Amino acid sequence: MENELPINFNDAVRIGFELVTYLLTSIGYSMIFKKCSKSPVLAFIPAVRDYEMSTVAEREEAGRTLCILYAGFYLAQFAGTIISNTENANETLILLLGLLLLTMGIAIILCSVQIYMALCDMFGKKKLWTVLWLLIPWIPAIIWGLSKNTLPKRVNGEDFRKAAALSGATVDQIAHGVTINLNERTAIDFIKKKTLLKDIHLSIPTGRMVLLLGGSGAGKTTFLNALTGYEKADATVTLDGQDVYSNYDSMKYNIGFVPQQDLMRGNDTVNMTLRNAATIRLPRNMKYSERRDRIKEMFDTFGLYSVRGSLVNKLSGGQRKRLSIAMEFVSDPSLFILDEPDSGLDGVVARKLFKSLREIADEGKIVLVITHTPDRVIDLFDDVIVLAKDRNRTGRLAYYGPVKNAYEFFGKKTMEDIVLSVNQKDEGGEGLADDFVEKYTAYAFGGGGQ
Amino acid sequence: MAEEKELNGITEDANTPVSDQSVNTGEASGESSVVAIQNTSTTEPSQNIKISQAPKKTLRYTGRIGQTFVYLGKLFRMFIFQSDWKVIPMAALIAGLVSMAIGSGLFVSQEGTLQGAFALACVCIWNGFFNSIQVICRERPIIKREHRAGMHISSYVAAHLIYQMIICIAQSLITILVLNVTQVKLNLDPLIFKDFRMDLAVTMFLITYSADTLALLVSSIVHSTTTAMTVMPFLLIVQLVFAGFFSLPESLNGVSDLMISKWGVQCLCAIGNYNDQPAVVIWNKLVSSGNKIEVGPGLTMMDILHEVEELGLRDEVLAQLGKANYNAKYESTTANVYKSWGILVLFVVVFSFVTVAFLEFIDKDKR
Repeated sequence: MENELPINFNDAVRIGFELVTYLLTSIGYSMIFKKCSKSPVLAFIPAVRDYEMSTVAEREEAGRTLCILYAGFYLAQFAGTIISNTENANETLILLLGLLLLTMGIAIILCSVQIYMALCDMFGKKKLWTVLWLLIPWIPAIIWGLSKNTLPKRVNGEDFRKAAALSGATVDQIAHGVTINLNERTAIDFIKKKTLLKDIHLSIPTGRMVLLLGGSGAGKTTFLNALTGYEKADATVTLDGQDVYSNYDSMKYNIGFVPQQDLMRGNDTVNMTLRNAATIRLPRNMKYSERRDRIKEMFDTFGLYSVRGSLVNKLSGGQRKRLSIAMEFVSDPSLFILDEPDSGLDGVVARKLFKSLREIADEGKIVLVITHTPDRVIDLFDDVIVLAKDRNRTGRLAYYGPVKNAYEFFGKKTMEDIVLSVNQKDEGGEGLADDFVEKYTAYAFGGGGQ
Repeated sequence: MAEEKELNGITEDANTPVSDQSVNTGEASGESSVVAIQNTSTTEPSQNIKISQAPKKTLRYTGRIGQTFVYLGKLFRMFIFQSDWKVIPMAALIAGLVSMAIGSGLFVSQEGTLQGAFALACVCIWNGFFNSIQVICRERPIIKREHRAGMHISSYVAAHLIYQMIICIAQSLITILVLNVTQVKLNLDPLIFKDFRMDLAVTMFLITYSADTLALLVSSIVHSTTTAMTVMPFLLIVQLVFAGFFSLPESLNGVSDLMISKWGVQCLCAIGNYNDQPAVVIWNKLVSSGNKIEVGPGLTMMDILHEVEELGLRDEVLAQLGKANYNAKYESTTANVYKSWGILVLFVVVFSFVTVAFLEFIDKDKR
């Protein structure tokens, strides 16, 4: 009796060859990952390794697409193999799968080209290497992995010291004002968990106008979203003694958030935009006359009465910004947050706007503002919060206190210089974020680092 | 001498007893030291305040129905100010073009009815897609802001559904009007209502409206108008291919059942009395090539056709050809029409719910 092998010789050779090249590529990838402080183990996981490589090349978006495409490709391949080996295989289905594989194959090549070109750029290699990466990836992977001179630009000279220690502190809540004890704010970014903010503890009493400073990516907006309960963090936030997170549905009306962009329908009238905002934000049982007076008050406060019949599109930049603020302020919130309200405004208009914010704070509200041009209006602020990215690229509290003390604390003369001092070196800053985080911990909480 | 440090908007005084605000350190490190910090800007003591889990006073805000009217108002203002009204004359224009192309055979012969039903379904689907493919994605950041401020997604979608329903009704009525003006045969026996045009209007409305809600769904998933306009032709092609107009492999019949176009064409053929109409294509082909086909010595097909006509049997032959072409899917019964309408309504309901479900995740949008 003749013993028949379950697989023929040619197939065995092909599978063996594919396995060896996969392993060689993975070994090369793992060496490259090691150079970039990434886990070498990830180099052996299909699809995931390609995503990780894209993060090395700083082409994360393409990497995500590639990872999904690869996952789909392998699944379709697997399904195709099973279907074609069954009796009476559905030809239409096989044809459709083939079509799907072809489409995904083309997309994989295009995404890979994008990533490999960026990888060449990152490692200071010629773009011609892209061809080799596409055709025989294990060769460049092994060469780049073994070569001691082939290092990614970002890793060269990067500081590998540990990030600043945690303060281990909490602040007690205050009766009139906002208190936040934020331990951590994390987010799942595709397949990775990222810590966006860590260890921020502070209280802001009512009647204060606070500036929120920080470089790009320091987590300012994330902090504000955590503070307002819009994106919950591992934190306790109280506003006037009430827990914001557990009472979010009712408390969101007591927190005004003005986004950076003027997010309003351009083809609606100013009057109806504000009226509709009031309908949604004001309590239902409010008397009609009170509601009407409140809307009129907003028109007067923000100087919009003369343009109330105009379309939003026809307003100037300053008027549009004021309308955007009025939409939030109509509900008379206790905590009023503005994300770059002066973007796109000239100095005079911006100052006028900040003066009206100062008046709001003087009415006993908390006004918290992000701005990238703070020095022209700094005299209007009481306090400043400085957020900075530590060595792990996590947003940390580098300072919170009166404006005048901030200059002394950082040894700088302007707010913009303060931001530069905490910005990372690759962003043109001084890279002193961790030092100031530790200094602040010692200064505010008397040490207590862990 | 008191050592003062101004931080946290507060004055730290080493000699001041624990008062307004205290900062506890060393939790993580196992220490239990307490640094007392006096808050100069607050006058009331706030230590040992318990975090309240419920608001002091429950305020009620505008509910879902109230908000639906707010957004409905906005949509009608957009209709005027944002030139959204253009979809109405556009529907008339497209109906006119289609009527010129297929109007003469529509509801006259089987082939003309099938072609016409397919064309009308395409017109409806195009109208529906075009009405709403951009309406949500173009204002996605605004929706996100308003949702944050208390807007109910269900109210927002409900307002769109009501608004789009009115637009779709208007477009269907306009299409009927155009077909009437261009003298398309619309005096058939009605199946459901007292007038055939009413049957046709409801069918066209349901096709348009379900396509409209599908486009709303797409608009709620994609994040930009560019993506929406890239997806739209693809969706349209899928609808056309699986409309039941083209011969497809049997294995793809299941896919066809999920298409608005399939049920639209089926319903239009059913109300158009497809099975009782004559089939004329074979006759016309024989007429055009009758002289070339010899059926006996000195006898051509054309001679036979002439004979049939002289005997007054042409209509009978065409009717018999039509009967031979019987298709159960297009059976002209109220049950068949109600089934198609029901499925189209089901599409509307499913697409609407899925739209709400997708938009509920709008807060997860990346900045």
